[in-house]
Amino acid sequence: MALKPEAVKTKIVKVYEIDEFQKLLKGVHVAACMITESHNVIDEQSVLRRLNALTLNGASDGNCCSCCGVGPFETRAQQTAHYKHHWHTFNLKRKLFGKSPLSIGQYNSRKVDESSSESEEEVEDSKRPPSDLFAAATRHCKAFFTNHYGQVFCIYRCILHHKKEELSTDGDGSAWVERVEQLLIPGYQRWAVLMVSGGRFAGAVFSGGTIVLHKTFHSYVTRRGQGQAQATRDAHHGHARSAGASLRRYNQAQFLEHIQDIISQWTEDFKGCSLILYRAVGSLNQAAIFGKNSPIKKDDPRLRVLPFPTRKPTFKEVQRVHSTLASLEVYDSLELFQKALITSTAKPANKATLDLGNENIKKTAKKSPSKTIDRAKSRERTPRELPTQLMSSEDEGPCFIDSETPVGWIKTLSEQKTSGIIINSKKVVLNDCAIQDRSTPSPCESEKEDLKQEVKEKYETDRRKKIKDPAVLNKPSQKIPNPIKKMWKMIIGNELKSLETIFEGWEEENLAEACNTRDPSDGNTALHKAAIAAKPDMVTEILTAGGDPCIRNNQLQTPYAASPHQETRLAFRMFQAQFPDKYNYAKSHIPGPVTPETLEQEKERKLQQKRAKRQRDKEKQLEKIKTNKFLQMTDTEKAKSSEKRCFLCGSNLPKKPFEYEVYRFCAVQCLQNHRNIRPLNMSA
Amino acid sequence: MAVRVQFENNNEVGVFSKLTNTYCLVAIGGSENFYSVFEAELAETIPVIHASVGGCRIIGRMTVGNKNGLLVPSSTTDTELQHIRNSLPENVKLQRVEERLSALGNVIACNDYVALVHPDLDKDTEEILADTLNVEVFRQTIAGNVLVGSYTALSNRGGLVHPKTNIQDQDELSSLLQVPLVAGTVNRGSDVVAAGMVVNDWCAFCGLDTTSTEISVIESVFKLNDAKPTAITSTMRASLIDSMS
Repeated sequence: MALKPEAVKTKIVKVYEIDEFQKLLKGVHVAACMITESHNVIDEQSVLRRLNALTLNGASDGNCCSCCGVGPFETRAQQTAHYKHHWHTFNLKRKLFGKSPLSIGQYNSRKVDESSSESEEEVEDSKRPPSDLFAAATRHCKAFFTNHYGQVFCIYRCILHHKKEELSTDGDGSAWVERVEQLLIPGYQRWAVLMVSGGRFAGAVFSGGTIVLHKTFHSYVTRRGQGQAQATRDAHHGHARSAGASLRRYNQAQFLEHIQDIISQWTEDFKGCSLILYRAVGSLNQAAIFGKNSPIKKDDPRLRVLPFPTRKPTFKEVQRVHSTLASLEVYDSLELFQKALITSTAKPANKATLDLGNENIKKTAKKSPSKTIDRAKSRERTPRELPTQLMSSEDEGPCFIDSETPVGWIKTLSEQKTSGIIINSKKVVLNDCAIQDRSTPSPCESEKEDLKQEVKEKYETDRRKKIKDPAVLNKPSQKIPNPIKKMWKMIIGNELKSLETIFEGWEEENLAEACNTRDPSDGNTALHKAAIAAKPDMVTEILTAGGDPCIRNNQLQTPYAASPHQETRLAFRMFQAQFPDKYNYAKSHIPGPVTPETLEQEKERKLQQKRAKRQRDKEKQLEKIKTNKFLQMTDTEKAKSSEKRCFLCGSNLPKKPFEYEVYRFCAVQCLQNHRNIRPLNMSA
Repeated sequence: MAVRVQFENNNEVGVFSKLTNTYCLVAIGGSENFYSVFEAELAETIPVIHASVGGCRIIGRMTVGNKNGLLVPSSTTDTELQHIRNSLPENVKLQRVEERLSALGNVIACNDYVALVHPDLDKDTEEILADTLNVEVFRQTIAGNVLVGSYTALSNRGGLVHPKTNIQDQDELSSLLQVPLVAGTVNRGSDVVAAGMVVNDWCAFCGLDTTSTEISVIESVFKLNDAKPTAITSTMRASLIDSMS
């Protein structure tokens, strides 16, 4: 609903508050929305007049189309052509939906440009015909009246008339007014309310606002937990024979009897009632009220079904039902009433844009659809401010950036954010900043710049560290010291002796550092260079000097992986066997340690394999010669020969060879092939 | 002459019968009284056929026809179709149509020359209608209602339309149909005029509730007072039957 109930002010007046009600009824008449156009009253005279007019003027009287606004037509052909035109049909449909007809030009342009007309339609939807209000009003379960003061009030239709009896809405609706005024007559406010459902009965007779007599009771007839009355259950699923089922069946019978007792006792009281309002859903409950010998007949004109949902029948509920039915909603003005009516009818969004011309309603109606979330679409991203809460360097909990906080911080922060920097490093930066800040209590503009620069540098180095192996110390290699360059040259030039002398000249720490220095161009260390240059002796030398075999070059290769040479690779493995604890070989890609002994064994094994292979080859050769010899023999020689071979392919025969006549074969295929060839041989 | 009749305590005789100038269909299962009224009026001139359509008795709302032909909806079974075919006069065409709006009687109103149809009626159906019934077809509404067949009772001499049709529309329609039209009711104020009555060029049947004013309106607009069956269906028919027997 577009509007909240409290948006419309209503006053409740009870029917039995006679003074108020009387005041309300001053100059009462049916609200305009209830009244329909009156039928044309037709009698013979008017028909004859019309017929005469038709015959006098001929049929050409209405020689135009008011629907499309065309005419008069000159010829019959023109007329029929128009009525058969799509344009006419289109306008007919528009008229049905309460829209104004289109001219032929508009229709044609609409055909061409379908999309633009969509919006046009929307615009036109907003001004709906007043007949919609009529539909809303007539559908409503209440009837509407206006009075002398311009107040609008509504009352439940069921109070005024029976469902089957339709009061005429033509003319001034005098029938309705009569019924409302009837309520003032003493005795017309004596109503009975009966409710039966789920083994509960509640009934009361009201006279005005006071209760004359009432009765409620309850018996156990519905299946607890499962739902459904026992009788319904029996009808659908057969007669259950549990103790509970029989108990409920018995109770049901008692319940019916009891209700019928009460109703028959109340017979006299019912006689005085102007209305009997009841709720009894289902045949069982209906039977309780209208059963045999009941004083209430089903076709009693006073009977009315309760026009709204109710809770389970209790005395309280009966009272509530009565007070609801007896209350009249009074709206102080027509506008308020229209607002309320429209919100209470089925289609609030459409109805709200009716003929009311009320800006407020239109606004609310248009806003409401935008409030609903379209989950099919991604949500709009709202720009949010950066969080101002940061973790401090000390473990004091959160520290807040105050007015003294240098701008640089926040700026750097935002830069980091935008450039997608690793989050971990942010903390480092901030910590550094915090320290820096403490040392410079009142940073001026230039200092701020410096700070920013520093922060950036720090971050840069951190990032570089991340990329490289964290285990290795590494300095920015802008400048390579000369001795290291010299060393690299030696490695490439295979000057083992001079390398050894250089190593001896360095101290141990410097040595390792020099060995692990990376060439800025390709990221190769001395070890890489030696490995790529295929110098096994040098590799061993450098490894002993402290060259880490785990460092990767720019191609992410370890020295072992970079080496293309078998011997060099072997050197790595042998070094691992010699010094298994010197480095962490796990990341060096070296497959495993190799000692000279195992190397020897390996060689021996390979040699044996070679020998065996040579032997096998020799045997194969021999066999081939033998079969060739056999095949070259004639068939008779083959048969005689001691060798048992297939006559066709010369291979050795199985234990039971395939044979025909004197020929023997290794397989069926050979036999078949032989037979196919044989006639040719014979003829030859 | 307009006759009051009731079908099994129901006044909507237009629902249970279909009357044209060359044949009359009545629903099966009605009391003998219902048939006898029709037969007494019509049997000498045109055949009165007991029929059902798709197992339903509401033949007046399901079918549409005139002297040239009869259209039945696709729900009509083959045996029903065969029965109707056998009972209809030779020169009346019978056609089954596949139409979404299957209650043809509600969506089509016609006499022997023109037909008003529901604006949404299928194009193919419109063509079949024009060919079979030999009529000119116009898409129209009656007093803002698309069910033109329900709200119009039409003969070659006049027509009765929905009571809320305004004078302007009546004039236009009568100019289009070339017959005089009046807005009116049947069955003591019922606005579904076609359901409350059936009419051809010389006789009409309406519900038992129809008031004498309504009857007099009907008789005057359909010019039933002086009406006689045309020669071809009365005098000539007798001789034709003689020659055939």
